[in-house]
Amino acid sequence: MTENILEFQNVSFRYEGSSEKEQLPLAVRDVSFSVKKGDFVAILGHNGSGKSTLAKLSNSILLPESGKVLVNGMDTADESLSYDIRRTVGVVFQNPDNQIVASVVEEDVAFGPENLGVPPEEIRKRVDNALKAVGMYEYRKHEPHKLSGGQKQRVAIAGMIAMLPECIVLDEPTAMLDPRGRKEVMDTILKLNREMGMTVVFITHFMEEAVRASRVIVMDNAEILMDGTPREVFRQADRVKAAGLDVPKPAELARALQKKGVPMPDDILTASEFTEYFLKRFGESNNATT
Amino acid sequence: MPLLETQNLSYVYSENTPFRMVAIDDVNISIEKGELVGIIGHTGSGKSTLVQHLNGLLEPTSGKVLLNGEDISSSKAAKRAARFRVGLCFQYPEYQLFESTVRKDIAFGPHNMGLSAPEIEQRVNRAAAFVGLRPEHMEKSPFDLSGGEKRRVAIAGVMAMEPEILILDEPTAGLDPRGRDTILQMLLDYRKTTGNTVVIVSHSMDDVAQFADRVIVMNGGKVEFCGSVHEVFCRVEMLERVGLDVPQVTGILMELHKRGLPVRTDIYTVEACAEELARVALQRGNGV
Repeated sequence: MTENILEFQNVSFRYEGSSEKEQLPLAVRDVSFSVKKGDFVAILGHNGSGKSTLAKLSNSILLPESGKVLVNGMDTADESLSYDIRRTVGVVFQNPDNQIVASVVEEDVAFGPENLGVPPEEIRKRVDNALKAVGMYEYRKHEPHKLSGGQKQRVAIAGMIAMLPECIVLDEPTAMLDPRGRKEVMDTILKLNREMGMTVVFITHFMEEAVRASRVIVMDNAEILMDGTPREVFRQADRVKAAGLDVPKPAELARALQKKGVPMPDDILTASEFTEYFLKRFGESNNATT
Repeated sequence: MPLLETQNLSYVYSENTPFRMVAIDDVNISIEKGELVGIIGHTGSGKSTLVQHLNGLLEPTSGKVLLNGEDISSSKAAKRAARFRVGLCFQYPEYQLFESTVRKDIAFGPHNMGLSAPEIEQRVNRAAAFVGLRPEHMEKSPFDLSGGEKRRVAIAGVMAMEPEILILDEPTAGLDPRGRDTILQMLLDYRKTTGNTVVIVSHSMDDVAQFADRVIVMNGGKVEFCGSVHEVFCRVEMLERVGLDVPQVTGILMELHKRGLPVRTDIYTVEACAEELARVALQRGNGV
């Protein structure tokens, strides 16, 4: 068994044009990267940069035009493996309303394992565990359409983890949510990664969410532009901005201070890092130390 | 007299059923000509229900909406006038594009107003220019455009009716940072050029703090607070209670202040915050 749960080898993909003559440009061009088991990878990129295509390539919803995608060493192009591949990697999409199928929360979560032919008593256990993992257990008898966006998205995630995938790929799961819903979903995903050891690939437009990943991949025009820890990526603010993205607000503030002649480090990411540094450097008690 | 005003406005969903829900409850707001108003509140606070009353799309269960002092549901004519004078752009408006070309889609509103062909043409071109659509976009199918472009086509469709009040429900939701900045800048320019009123429903405190003249905070179907950006964002406890936050840089200043650093906390943008912190850093002599 390989250490990499997900491996892209020189993958290219293009969508079909509306007519035979028309050939669309590549949506993903010669992309190679791999994801280690237990990792938390955030994928950033402007609209149309190829992020969502990566998500769909990762569990054989789409197949590469050239190159290979391997899931635990299984080639996604091998149709006979697609059952095992989709059990290993689950994908959650942006709009929770499109992913909910049942009229009771726990039935919705049971839908996946039922389809896998899991025995009923085992389903019961998995549904309860999944709902507890996302903090929605007390809503198990509720109607999904009456839940808030954040709650619905957590139900969709529970439906995914009830199939016990080793890796979940989330395509902008927080894009349609308000700040509170975003935080609920983000905390849930972090918990799955840290406490249950689930591998997470997380596509987002929110830089402050990407900061919480252990690795950030920046896509630009169908290719990987940057790949590193959040600190390594966001300290290169000019490249990040050129790719149509932002740096986190605390990093932007540190840079604005630098421009005014105040020495600040390049690699501040979070509000608490900012305040700690600023207090240490310019606070009352340490006034003399430089 | 305010341009647009609500008086004791309430709306109840599924009245007379077990699912009865009061979506907005005795709401009194007023909006003046030329203002840029931000409406904030967490999901379910009543923001979208409120704005759907402002052009008569929803009929109040009780209370009134007054446009230039006239009740918009007082007559058929008043209702029709409100539809055109108050332009409403929904959440994810790009899902509502339907015409075969961008030009036709933007022309749909003005066409419904019964305007002459040359007038429609003019308005479509003006609206397209506001949202930065180029002539080569105009004959394309809207479905061949990118997400951000589609969003701009949808907004242009409302702008082309040249409403005195342009209301947008989360105009930047789901867009990437560049798409978001483009749309916000476009709305600021639109307000400046036309002098029209713009109302934006938003989840981003950073955005609201940056652009709004006045902010309405909704909570549980009621207006929790209404005031200037400063008046709203200095009330940290109120914001926390209703599930909202201060802008990120303001949060940093508040933390520094709490830990004894003499910094102002009534600052809401990165640039202004950097100025304030630079002042403190340089004062302390070990800055540069």
